[in-house]
Amino acid sequence: MNLLEQIKSDFSNYAAQAEPGVFFDKRLEAFAELEKFGLPTLKNEEWKYTNLRKIAEGNFTNTCNSNLDAKTLIEAGILNRIECNKLVFVNGCLFPELSDFLDEEPGVILSNIAQARKNHTSIFDAHFGKYIKLEGEGLNAMNTAMMSDGAFVFIPKGKKLRYPLMITNIVDANSHPVLQQPRNLIIIEASASATIIENYIAVGSNSSFTNVVNEIFVDENASLEHYKVQRAKGETYHNNYTQIFQNGNTNINQVTLTLDGQWVRNNLHFYMNGQNCNSLLYGLYITDGNQFVDNHSRVDHAKPNGFSDEKYKGILKDQSTAVFNGKIMVHLDAQKTNAYQRNMNIILSNDATVNTKPQLEIFADDVKCTHGATIGQLDEEPMFYLRSRGISENEARKMLLNAYADDIAEKIKIPELVQILEEEIERKL
Amino acid sequence: MLKIENLKASIEGKSILNGINLEIKAGEVHAIMGPNGAGKSTLSSVLAGRADYTVTEGKANFMGKDLLELSPEDRAREGLFLAFQYPVEIPGVSSTNFLKTAINEKRKYLGLDPMEATDFLKFMKLKMEEMEMDKSLTSRSLNEGFSGGEKKRNEVFQMAMLEPKLCIMDETDSGLDIDALRLVSAGVNKLRTPERSFLVITHYQRLLDYIVPDFVHVLYKGRIVKSGDASLAKELEVKGYDWIKQEVEAAV
Repeated sequence: MNLLEQIKSDFSNYAAQAEPGVFFDKRLEAFAELEKFGLPTLKNEEWKYTNLRKIAEGNFTNTCNSNLDAKTLIEAGILNRIECNKLVFVNGCLFPELSDFLDEEPGVILSNIAQARKNHTSIFDAHFGKYIKLEGEGLNAMNTAMMSDGAFVFIPKGKKLRYPLMITNIVDANSHPVLQQPRNLIIIEASASATIIENYIAVGSNSSFTNVVNEIFVDENASLEHYKVQRAKGETYHNNYTQIFQNGNTNINQVTLTLDGQWVRNNLHFYMNGQNCNSLLYGLYITDGNQFVDNHSRVDHAKPNGFSDEKYKGILKDQSTAVFNGKIMVHLDAQKTNAYQRNMNIILSNDATVNTKPQLEIFADDVKCTHGATIGQLDEEPMFYLRSRGISENEARKMLLNAYADDIAEKIKIPELVQILEEEIERKL
Repeated sequence: MLKIENLKASIEGKSILNGINLEIKAGEVHAIMGPNGAGKSTLSSVLAGRADYTVTEGKANFMGKDLLELSPEDRAREGLFLAFQYPVEIPGVSSTNFLKTAINEKRKYLGLDPMEATDFLKFMKLKMEEMEMDKSLTSRSLNEGFSGGEKKRNEVFQMAMLEPKLCIMDETDSGLDIDALRLVSAGVNKLRTPERSFLVITHYQRLLDYIVPDFVHVLYKGRIVKSGDASLAKELEVKGYDWIKQEVEAAV
């Protein structure tokens, strides 16, 4: 059964016994969109270099089944060096034994989606499906129609999440190919703040497809630190769509780190719905073998005085491929916008490929925007300088690549996470 | 220490060095002067092992080894040091980590254990005091945002740390004002020992007021056309290079 057929069959089973209500209506609507548009193909401009064929062929199983115990899961790569709130999902389902909350502030809600729908129905219904675009976005529609469990975060007005929340999704593909569709809903009310880490890992030799949707709402004067760490090794296919809807005077720092994964597509969409929004988008990808990594981003400056800074850096080895497509959209109203965008790539082999497309679309007339992309090898002059001091070619290359990557690592404000990243960089290089 | 015989080198098929002969013994300071385009910087690049140049003929023996056969890093480990005309800024590489790596790679090559972190820091502190280096320079990224003078002083500081046998200084005076020139020269003079040799490449004589050479050679069209003692530099300062050019043309 191919993926679409499977989703259709799963959905009709679900619909037959679903309770009517807001939640069901949204999923029904999403399913209709999926039927209408299907999955994206190479003919779609946004998917020109990104082939879904292998995923669409399907034969994944959508089930919670896993025999892994807590110890194995921790060894698989839960980042337990970081003192934080934890939500752990295995094949899309909550793993309560490893889920643990340190924050006990009244009013703050940390939960999985399944619980939140029951216990906090009105907040859930008010936000679920409100921000994510379904039209023409088959994978978002597919997630909304047939989502797995995920994280629910609600930080009420003026409150601060003291510890980061780490959401770990683990694929256990030991016995069969896995389909999981994590869905996270994060609501940060006015003047509140939170730090969220998404952590993806995989075990087992079968293939898997992880299709994530994050809906994030950040109200006025609030702030968010958001980190995504992709370390799911093996034959893993991973699509992630993060929609951030921000009101005025908000500060968001987002860092996307892609280290492992056969096929990874990150979609990041910021919508600035108020003045004085401050959005930082940073990314690092280090690819080898025949990895494929695609970073798509879009920043909508819809209101005046917004600032956005985007920098994505890649290091490519072997026959790996990277795609970057960044779009900054400055709306007619968004005067005094400052927007910067850069994509830089270092290619370490003759067989690696980069397709990069930095884009600006500007409809306001008083703005400051720059964009650019570079693809090249490691500069020879610094190499020679280091070697002329007795440092071997290998070591010099490592020092220069580390320095290049550290530029992104230093955007991360959790020292333990920076350290983990540095170890991962060392491993990949 | 260094013996160069009939060294010829070219870049992109264009011949730049046309047969250099030069011998430098332990403790000697040699200056190479010459007009623009004579091949001064090419000579330093070829000796340090820059890949852009092709050696087409000749030999260079350094401490009993065939210098031209060694990789740039092995030349450094054997005790050759090139002070760059334009030291490269390397953002993200800390000066301290860079020096520690360089010292330990050299020690490894010589069969020595790596220096302990505390010993290294002590050694660096000592050298910084000796060379009157500002502490802030080593806490920053390598050469990043350094002024022209700071970059050249940092080259001399690296020299002090790496303790080379032969220092090649490529137009160290270029872009320096008189105060910076004094500071850099004072640093170099502190590093002069009966064992350590210097090859000072410069266009102008003024550097040689501070770093007084034992020998002065004039390079023109890729050959050493005249050699003498420090007084030759003074003569060039007064008369310029034209008389030498004329002498060479007349001889042809």
